[in-house]
Amino acid sequence: MSSPYLHINGIRKTFGEVVATDHVELEIAEGEFMTFLGPSGSGKSTTLYILAGFQDPTAGDIRLRGRSILQTPSHKRNIGMVFQRYTLFPHLSVGENVAFPLRVRRAPQAEIAAKVRRALSLVRLDGFEDRMPAHMSGGQQQRVALARALVYDPPVLLMDEPLSALDKKLREEIQHEIRRIHQQTGVTILYVTHDQEEALRLSDRIAVFNTGKIEQVGTGPELYASPATHFVADFIGNSAFLAGDLVAIGAGRASLRFADGTVLADIPMHGTGLAGGKAELMLRPERIELTAQPGLSGASLPVTVEDVTFLGNSSTVSARTGWGEVLSVRMNFGHPMMGQVRQGDALHVRWQPQHAHVFAKA
Amino acid sequence: MLSFFSPARRGSGLGTALPALLLLLAFFVIPVAALLSRSITEPELGLHNYRTLLGSATYLQIFLNTFMVSAVVTLITVLIAFPVSWALAIMPPRLSSVIFAIILLSMWTNLLARTYAWMVLLQQTGLVNRILMGIGLTDRPLQLTNNLVGVTIGMVYIMLPFMILPLYGVIRKIDPAVLQAAALCGATRGQALRRVLLPLAAPGIASGALMVFVMSLGYFVTPALLGGTSNMMVAELIVQQVQSLVNWGMGGAAAFVLLVITLAIYAVQLRVFGTEVR
Repeated sequence: MSSPYLHINGIRKTFGEVVATDHVELEIAEGEFMTFLGPSGSGKSTTLYILAGFQDPTAGDIRLRGRSILQTPSHKRNIGMVFQRYTLFPHLSVGENVAFPLRVRRAPQAEIAAKVRRALSLVRLDGFEDRMPAHMSGGQQQRVALARALVYDPPVLLMDEPLSALDKKLREEIQHEIRRIHQQTGVTILYVTHDQEEALRLSDRIAVFNTGKIEQVGTGPELYASPATHFVADFIGNSAFLAGDLVAIGAGRASLRFADGTVLADIPMHGTGLAGGKAELMLRPERIELTAQPGLSGASLPVTVEDVTFLGNSSTVSARTGWGEVLSVRMNFGHPMMGQVRQGDALHVRWQPQHAHVFAKA
Repeated sequence: MLSFFSPARRGSGLGTALPALLLLLAFFVIPVAALLSRSITEPELGLHNYRTLLGSATYLQIFLNTFMVSAVVTLITVLIAFPVSWALAIMPPRLSSVIFAIILLSMWTNLLARTYAWMVLLQQTGLVNRILMGIGLTDRPLQLTNNLVGVTIGMVYIMLPFMILPLYGVIRKIDPAVLQAAALCGATRGQALRRVLLPLAAPGIASGALMVFVMSLGYFVTPALLGGTSNMMVAELIVQQVQSLVNWGMGGAAAFVLLVITLAIYAVQLRVFGTEVR
């Protein structure tokens, strides 16, 4: 059995009493685009800095092609990195910035010239060699940083929220560039972001970080369709959570009773819980719909319409359950019910049984 | 009202510069002109003062002393101030403000008091010699006063803040992440220092070095007290000529030569670093 290309093996990092990352375990395949997604302080950047060699882990190991890299200092790891604030060398021209990694490696002049030209062409900045970084836009500077990080063919490219300093339109443009460059070079990328949309758009797989731990690893559709924890369900997509009591559990399914006595049976359940414990039902606004008649048992609830907000291509309906919790329903433009729903209407929400999830509360 | 402060109004034309020019004329140009005229008229008209000054081995030795000491002082202050400024820039702001207070406090302490303190520290039975003997680096006290070694030590101490302040101003603006970037690009610590940190700090080093070197050229108190009579520097020569010998011609000539040299150095500096040095 061959070892994984990059193995983050049980990394733990503490700063005094504070645990920054706790037993982070991840295997990354060669050429994969892996994103660390999580709120600030979730340990995703700490993990990246440990990979870069800026910090040493308290415990655990990092192996690249089966060999530990922890004893290797940053400048010998050969890893590429793109930072949040570009961090180009302000006293060097674009060409010299990109040439820097090759110059410190004492590469021959002809090779430097050829590789710099190729790297700048890769990020579509042909002919910008003599420009100074200060005279370029943020997006251009970040592309130079990308060229500088790729010019020495690193085995892994780290990207630490590289687009957070750019405005929305530019961000989307550079996201396309990053995808194209990933496909063109096949470089293995570890990408850190707190933006779920960015993560979904770019990644092969996403590792969702929360309070120093990985909550779930999977492709975007996997995380969206079957979130393993409440946190993942909440962080990816916009969900409503309805609180209730677990009344029966079996074979990955549960029955839930709500405050007014309503019972929903046979819902997919995540995590472990005991009958009588507290739990939450997750419903995504785009996976439920309003109807006049109740749906299948266990996949429908009576509601009262609170408010209707028109948003152009869709409308959002706020609906109140019998026991007073509010959830939102998205209705795409052209839906037969659109324009007929009024505040105060007594209707039902219904959904496909596999689209609801129960999370036991700790 | 705001437009009064706008760049278009500020510093436009001769009108705004006039008070400054008048001040310069009254307190700089006229005295220098007077000195220059005395140097070529006393005791009689001609350039013989300059001929004596530049033709005598004694006087040339004094100029040489001055340049040597100024150059060494500048070099040592750069070597000390660079790591100090870097440490100040990356340490927590609370700590760095305390250290700044100490640096400024020493600057504001009376110059004579500080120089006499160094005389006490550096004398044969002084603290420095006792420590050196105590740790066994020497078995006899070293001669650290009444020579250029003492002058250099005392002047490095006095000049250090003038190097740290401009250098810190430049280094503080360097993003420490560029050094992380350099490391990941494969640069060793030495390469990162040579190729990134030093070039970025160069304008600060240049302006600090210019300040220290030029101030050192004309320094009087410390060379007079720590250098003794046999190791004169130019400022001492000027004082001796004017005060003891009442020879305004020679004193003026020495002062004028010093001024020309200083301006020449400044011109070279401007040429090399352009407008980066203010």
